Amino acid sequence: MDDHGPGPEPDEGDEGSIVARAQDGDLAAFEHLVIAYQDRIFRLAYRMLNDRLDAEDVVQETLTSSWRSLPLLADVNAFGAWLYRLATNKCLDLLRRRSTHAETSTDPDELLGIGEHGFPQAPAGTDPADQAQWSAQQEGLAAVLNTLPPAQRACWLLREIHGRSYTEISDTLKISPTTVRGMLARARHHIAEGMGQWR
Amino acid sequence: MALEDVPRLGCGRSIDEVWAGIDQPPTGHEEHCQYCQTARTRLQRLQEATVALRESDLHDPELKPRPGLTRAIMDVARAEVRRGNRLLVRTTDHGTIEISEQALDSLIRIAATAIPGIHSRRCRIDIRTLPNSPHETTSTARAPRLVINFRVAAAAGIDIPKTVDALRQKIRTAIPAGIGIDAGTINITVEDLYDV
Repeated sequence: MDDHGPGPEPDEGDEGSIVARAQDGDLAAFEHLVIAYQDRIFRLAYRMLNDRLDAEDVVQETLTSSWRSLPLLADVNAFGAWLYRLATNKCLDLLRRRSTHAETSTDPDELLGIGEHGFPQAPAGTDPADQAQWSAQQEGLAAVLNTLPPAQRACWLLREIHGRSYTEISDTLKISPTTVRGMLARARHHIAEGMGQWR
Repeated sequence: MALEDVPRLGCGRSIDEVWAGIDQPPTGHEEHCQYCQTARTRLQRLQEATVALRESDLHDPELKPRPGLTRAIMDVARAEVRRGNRLLVRTTDHGTIEISEQALDSLIRIAATAIPGIHSRRCRIDIRTLPNSPHETTSTARAPRLVINFRVAAAAGIDIPKTVDALRQKIRTAIPAGIGIDAGTINITVEDLYDV
């Protein structure tokens, strides 16, 4: 009998069963979860850290440590929330370690040079005039995002880009849901102001 | 952090209030308030940029980890795979026979895949050796008894008692066919329902 066992059923929508099987050591089930989450965690980590290699390290560490602690996860339906929490905290730890080595730059012009893929391309077929405006907005947003304090940036990314709930973000950042709302409002204010100035 | 920390406009309204109505036409106040109009324009631009960033990050082929990362993660997992306990199935006069819990576990899960509307979850297996009855005379007659505690999710809307009986019957047949011992007690818990 090989390591993979019978593996997950083809139909989606019951992640809890796949998580439970991975908890019992089923490698095929775990691989299914790795494939389902690695890109999402990478996008979060990349926007938090602005560095591909660091973001890949966060993905790898998050998923391997999840394998080790998986049997302890009480609610199989909370796997996604748990993984986001692990990944976010790894990013925040890394940013804290970075800031003890060097002061983080908050100069948007300087930050524009960070990360080779920091600014996504407009979708193909976009009208050139729209495209110019589109990419100006994107660049403005991505640049201003980098000037937010790490916890505020995490809060904004988790809510606005990854659609995580207020309760989950409050658990992740160990702050009250009310504080999450306040933090989000400040992040939106800061980004909206910053994008205005950037243009 | 208190709610007072929420940024406020010159007219006293919070950014949150303007944000909450961003998809609606401007209110009477907003139509005449310069602060609100500026904030609405900026927040609308932010909302558009947010949606665009979310979509472009999602589809940007560059915003993915390197292709070998899945394998690297799985290599670590494979090296640390949990094989579970070994279960003593028989003690003979010439030695013992053990089976890994994972091997038995796989048999049960394969059996479960044959039952529509059932997704297997965690599985715990114990072996209890029953005390000799007064009529038994040798150690080889001592029968180990499997106690299987199997948790599953069931498709919403199925007949659970009937399906669980079918699952139990399937496991009861699969174990002797696979390893030559009786299935013993099979406790099945439906711990969740999933939408089909």
